[in-house]
Amino acid sequence: MTAPKGGNFGKILEIDLSRQKYKTRKISDDECRKYIGGAGMGGYFLTSEYKAHHDPLAEDSFIFIGVGPLNGTYCVSTRTSIVNMSPYTGLLSHAEVGAHLGNEIKWAGWDGIYIKGRSKKPVYLYIKDDKVQFRDAGKLWGKTTEDVDESMRQEINDPYARTAVIGPAGENGVPFAAVIIERFRAAARTGTGALMGNKKLKGIAVRGTKAVPVADNKKFYQAAKAAKQLAVDKEGWQGIKRWGTAGLLELKHWVSGSLITKNFQTTWYPDIEYIGGEEANRTFWKRHVACNHCPVHCQKYGVIREGKHAGLIAEGPEYETGGLLGSNLGVSDFAGMMAMIELCDAMGIDAISTGGVLAFTTECIDRGVLKPGDLDGVALKWGDADAYLEMIRKMAYQDGKGGKLLAKGVRKMSQEIGQGSEAWAVHVKGKEIAAHDPRGDKGRGPSYALGTCGGDHHEGGTPATQARWAMLNSLVMCSFVGGYPWGKETPGIFTAMLNPLCGWNMSDDEYWTTGKRIITLERCFQVREGISRKDDVLPKRFTTEKLPEGPKKGAIFTAEDTKKMQEATYSYFGWDEKGIPTDKSLKAYDLEYLIDDVREAKKAL
Amino acid sequence: MESEKKKFPDVLRKETTRRGFLKGAAVTAAGGAVALATVGSIKPKVVEAAKPVEKPALRYLFAERQNCTGCRACEYACSVHHTGVVRPSVARVHVLKFKNVVDVPVICWQCDDAPCIEACPTTPVAIQKDPKTNGIILNEKVCLGAKCSKCIEACPAQFIRRNPDTGKPLMCDLCGGDPKCVEACLEQSGNPQGPCLMANKLGFGVNQAYRNVTPEEAGEDLMGLLFYPNKTGERRSGS
Repeated sequence: MTAPKGGNFGKILEIDLSRQKYKTRKISDDECRKYIGGAGMGGYFLTSEYKAHHDPLAEDSFIFIGVGPLNGTYCVSTRTSIVNMSPYTGLLSHAEVGAHLGNEIKWAGWDGIYIKGRSKKPVYLYIKDDKVQFRDAGKLWGKTTEDVDESMRQEINDPYARTAVIGPAGENGVPFAAVIIERFRAAARTGTGALMGNKKLKGIAVRGTKAVPVADNKKFYQAAKAAKQLAVDKEGWQGIKRWGTAGLLELKHWVSGSLITKNFQTTWYPDIEYIGGEEANRTFWKRHVACNHCPVHCQKYGVIREGKHAGLIAEGPEYETGGLLGSNLGVSDFAGMMAMIELCDAMGIDAISTGGVLAFTTECIDRGVLKPGDLDGVALKWGDADAYLEMIRKMAYQDGKGGKLLAKGVRKMSQEIGQGSEAWAVHVKGKEIAAHDPRGDKGRGPSYALGTCGGDHHEGGTPATQARWAMLNSLVMCSFVGGYPWGKETPGIFTAMLNPLCGWNMSDDEYWTTGKRIITLERCFQVREGISRKDDVLPKRFTTEKLPEGPKKGAIFTAEDTKKMQEATYSYFGWDEKGIPTDKSLKAYDLEYLIDDVREAKKAL
Repeated sequence: MESEKKKFPDVLRKETTRRGFLKGAAVTAAGGAVALATVGSIKPKVVEAAKPVEKPALRYLFAERQNCTGCRACEYACSVHHTGVVRPSVARVHVLKFKNVVDVPVICWQCDDAPCIEACPTTPVAIQKDPKTNGIILNEKVCLGAKCSKCIEACPAQFIRRNPDTGKPLMCDLCGGDPKCVEACLEQSGNPQGPCLMANKLGFGVNQAYRNVTPEEAGEDLMGLLFYPNKTGERRSGS
């Protein structure tokens, strides 16, 4: 086993909460090169350690908080990837999140944190370089994320530590609970919050003081500097600097015809002018905020200045949060929408799934299949931010009949309610989808239907972009760094950085093969859990209802479109017509250890 | 404090609150910014290739705290300049994230009275000012390192941190008159946010005022300035 020459330490911090012990797990340079890090490395651990149909909430289930070789180096905009088997969907899920946590993990001398076991009492972890403290979180249990984050850093007396915490939703086992990083960034969509709550792990705080080893410092610095210059200069991305992703709210309404509205019924939402980027800029935003070394500073923090929410500090709206909790709920009250976004962060709950669930429930009430009585008398109706706020709180605490019902998520709700509600239950593989309507923006179709996690906006629109995304999620790089992850600069720009950093000689071909390998190994995990072609489809609404208005009026995702995207993906990655990786391609990707599992799973499908 | 009173009696005798003090400072800061704008860009432009370019001898670093995006490009540039690799724990300049809402750049303000030098107990004094650039130079051979924390305690801006390896204080030497953090900040924050770090010859006494604010106090100030629309302060949905 050769140790990495640079970029990686070759060390994963393995924490056992049951025994309150920790140790170092070594990883070889070969593993680093094959799975890169972040999502890829997490996927490798999940596929190689879990047997099929593992219980996601079992004591030995683990959470992998991964970073990549570029984290902590001069490279701009590196992030953190959280990987686990989701208690929500029962599938492999990974969430990539910004802020500074990932680099701090790297500077502490680790390539990732692997957390297993279950504590008897609430704890939080303080990781400073090689030392790990298990600290009592009894007093922090029940607190909301912003309070917990502050108390934790006060208690450890380290203002420079970076945190990841859960809120009441995670503690109460809401299956789509999120992990909140440094107060405003959410690693959601994976149910990691619920898993942490199950492990009685309230949060982690990390502080590192080391430097990442670099094989050829001079060459790497030159390449990273050139990549940074691209991110600084690229003209197309100046808008993101100015407006964040909130600017997309107006764009998707007026131009792309893909702004989700009222549970995906339409994409035409003129009230967007009251909740979009322009309104936020005029009345809400106070500062631009950047993640690590990022010239794009797409986060916008602001404060509500008047009315009953006055004094509320929040981040956003972003395209996803503004879409799901704004237009998708028919909300035109900006302060109300921001209060919802902030409440989701405070409770530690996935804003995308929450928006999807609330919209689905509202449509159920509209159509008379649910009565306010079923929801403890909370009368949800389009645009009523106060009712939605109350419901989010109930969901997070699983309070009453209504809270318990909604915390199950759209798929289970529609199964329980029946009465034809599947027709407007919008989810893929059990997960609510993000805020781009795939009828108006066809590229999102494959991302939702064929992306590893389901309903995910961080997956590619074409097979080749899926491989790109897989690499980004494993290098754990942001996709907003000036367009080079999407242009012809890739993979040259990345290999130019990786080779001197890690002492590799990775070619363009190897870069793409690595991306394909990661997607395929993630697919193998899903296949073991019973996923195949039948699941790689979009919700019924997008294939049966035409867009009634807006710039893409009449658009629909046809059966032909579905077939085309499935076949393109399957053939690109070397999967068979059922979407199952073939023995031949598994051998080509050097994933022999999965052949038997996949054969076994194939029999059941 | 004794030495401070000796050298700067006018400023210190005034019984103003810290906040009032800052307000006055902000006006002068604006003046400084205008002066900077008229003087021209920070990077000297080469007019004729034959002429050797003389680096400007800078006197003061200044942080426009409101403009900080918290990207830490200054920390990256600082540690790369001093150690060759990215390692924020040994960067001189650093950024404090306060309440996870505002970012406070913590810099050395190049105080004219230099309390750190005053406090240094060694003979000869381990910390000295470079007369040309105004940067602080640490003589590592003389410095007592982990055994002593006089300069760290003396710094009114709480800027000085210890090198985690050697225990020696991390001092801002202004990179020999061409601060890399300023360069990095300028290219990083760009449009629409202006840069936060600047360096010029004009101190205006502003630095002498700003340095009296600790990072935490500066964080509170920024919170008040940007995020508290009323006297009741922040409202949190959870509590």
